[in-house]
Amino acid sequence: MITLTNLSKIFRTELIETHALRDINLQVNEGEFAALTGPSGSGKSTLLNILGTLENFDAGDYLLDGISVKGLSDAALSKLRNEKIGFIFQSFNLIKDFSIYDNIELPLRYRGLKASERKQRIEHALELVGLHARRDYLPGQLSGGQQQRVAIARAIAGQPRILLADEPTGNLDSLMARQVMELLEQINQQGCTILMVTHDPDQARRAGRHIQIIDGQLHDSTLYDPLTRQTA
Amino acid sequence: MEQLFYYLKVSWFSVKRAPLPYMLTVLILSLGLGVFFSNATFYYRMNSDPLPDKSDKLFFPMMMLVPYQCSDCKPPSVLSYSNVAKLAASDIPSAKAAMYSADGYLRQHATQPPTPVNIRITQRDFFTMFDVPLLHGSVWADDQARDELLLSKASAEKIFGRSDVTGQQLLLDDRLFTVIGVLDEWQMLPKLYDAFGRNYLNAAEDIYLPLESGYDYNYLSNRNSSTFDDADYRKLATDGRTKAIHQLQYWVQLDTPAQQQAYRQFMANLVADEKAAGRHPSAEANQLVMMRDIIRYFGGESGDIKAFAIVTLLFLLVCIFNASHLSLNRYLSNQYEFSLRRALGAKRSQLQLQLLVDMSMMSAFTLGGAAVIAYGSINLMNYLWPSNRLFASWDLQLMLVLAALTLICSYLVTLYPSLRASFGSLNKQLKE
Ligand SMILES: Nc1ncnc2c1ncn2[C@@H]1O[C@H](COP(=O)(O)OP(=O)(O)OP(=O)(O)O)[C@@H](O)[C@H]1O
Ligand SMILES: [Mg+2]
Repeated sequence: MITLTNLSKIFRTELIETHALRDINLQVNEGEFAALTGPSGSGKSTLLNILGTLENFDAGDYLLDGISVKGLSDAALSKLRNEKIGFIFQSFNLIKDFSIYDNIELPLRYRGLKASERKQRIEHALELVGLHARRDYLPGQLSGGQQQRVAIARAIAGQPRILLADEPTGNLDSLMARQVMELLEQINQQGCTILMVTHDPDQARRAGRHIQIIDGQLHDSTLYDPLTRQTA
Repeated sequence: MEQLFYYLKVSWFSVKRAPLPYMLTVLILSLGLGVFFSNATFYYRMNSDPLPDKSDKLFFPMMMLVPYQCSDCKPPSVLSYSNVAKLAASDIPSAKAAMYSADGYLRQHATQPPTPVNIRITQRDFFTMFDVPLLHGSVWADDQARDELLLSKASAEKIFGRSDVTGQQLLLDDRLFTVIGVLDEWQMLPKLYDAFGRNYLNAAEDIYLPLESGYDYNYLSNRNSSTFDDADYRKLATDGRTKAIHQLQYWVQLDTPAQQQAYRQFMANLVADEKAAGRHPSAEANQLVMMRDIIRYFGGESGDIKAFAIVTLLFLLVCIFNASHLSLNRYLSNQYEFSLRRALGAKRSQLQLQLLVDMSMMSAFTLGGAAVIAYGSINLMNYLWPSNRLFASWDLQLMLVLAALTLICSYLVTLYPSLRASFGSLNKQLKE
């Protein structure tokens, strides 16, 4: 479902050029749970942002469901983000003065769903993350783990096919981190493809697939090789 | 509809998040607009046409009918009684009236303290020519001297406590007069029939007296007048009628170009006759100025008002600049939220719609603020320069202009920030 071929990304500032990603080739299939690890500054977030179309790239190509994102207009990319992709961030990124309910509603609003449909989806998502009773709370009134579960609810309320999580447990203690991991695994079992950046080796091991990035290059056993993959 | 409420809610939340910078932005913008607008009100009033249907039909004739010689003088703006009589001999105009103004004291009974009043001493056509509305009674039957006066509504109410006072008697400078008419509320703005000096800023008069009675009772002009030879300006009843005491303004109504042309010819003929009689030593310098052009003709457009208008415009620009700076900061600190919304799939157009609602909300607040400040500063101006008091009223047209101006300014103030916000890089703020 995700295919990257020779993808490169260079950040240019006045002083330096940073080759954040070099010649990345990667295939992620429907239903996979892939962990992305690597040292700080190796390009993990950059890769995730490119996959989420929040960032563009300099060379190579990115096909999502067989369609190159390069040719898509801004509006088409917005639609794609809205319908196919869910984001989970390390710092939750909830809007502080919106209630839990309103936060989860955001992507559904932008999709233009009817009020009744939105309500049904939000309730379902809240049910799944176990926060139904807190729907009218403000994010600040919840613990970090609960806030991250709200963020997950927001990401899955639109029923995306891909969930991109950038260190979703980075700000959580181990107990809460485990809860979030279990939640993600549950979501994955329901068929959602997940790409998760993590620094935790245990989490990486629990994921079905482990992708490593070092210095902007993929370095791991599951390095995509189109030929072997297709014949397998 | 529901979506609009949602956008309003989001706007309101973003205001609540940082109320101080928001209030400051609105305040600065209101201040600029308010000050500009109070000045614009004044400017608008002063340049408005009080008689749009007639201001191209009423004319102010001026001639060099003076006993001195001057090669390139402008003709004086006032005429002598005998010159007016010569002009009045023409029946080309559909209406004509000579006039001047004087001061007096009015009371109902000799036992009361008198009230100072402004008197317009004029002829019966004055009322039709300048569309003066009559509430009660009528104007004089002809232009003869008579002890009959007309009152403004305000004066009637002040003295009698009511307006329907035709037939009542009054003491004007302790001479008994009968009230034959009461004007309805009336104020020509600018007061073009009295448009030299800066008289066009003044209020309408309280009392209207027949010209002949004014001369009979020796009401001296309180405006510019000039006297030549041995004429004694204090003896209006005698010298005023026969000698060179120039103090009368004269207006004629000429409805058609043909009439206007005929009247110019009449004036030229009059000059020729006067020259022949040795009473017109100067070269001909006749003027027939349209009411519409009268302020410009007399150079009454005051430079300081124009300068003040420019200053307030600059002040408005500075305010817009400052407000957009503030609003840019506000948006930049909110940019994380824009990025988040984009990441969640908001289209640019959806964000821009949000910004449009933001802008409308700011316009609404600013409009309120600007209206209050404009009202306050008009009152302050009136307090400082009471002579300009009459110019401070608003009408629908002015209010609409204020609203449009506010909208434009709010738009300018939010335009750049919103472009920055909706086209900025998406991912930067989300990482932390
Ligand atoms: N907007 C940017 N402008 C310039 N350089 C950038 C930008 N974003 C990232 N980089 C650079 O690209 C490289 C990869 O950054 P990235 O954020 O992807 O690393 P990361 O693997 O996510 O690190 P961490 O584990 O610390 O989050 C780094 O060298 C970083 O400095
Ligand atoms: Mg990172």
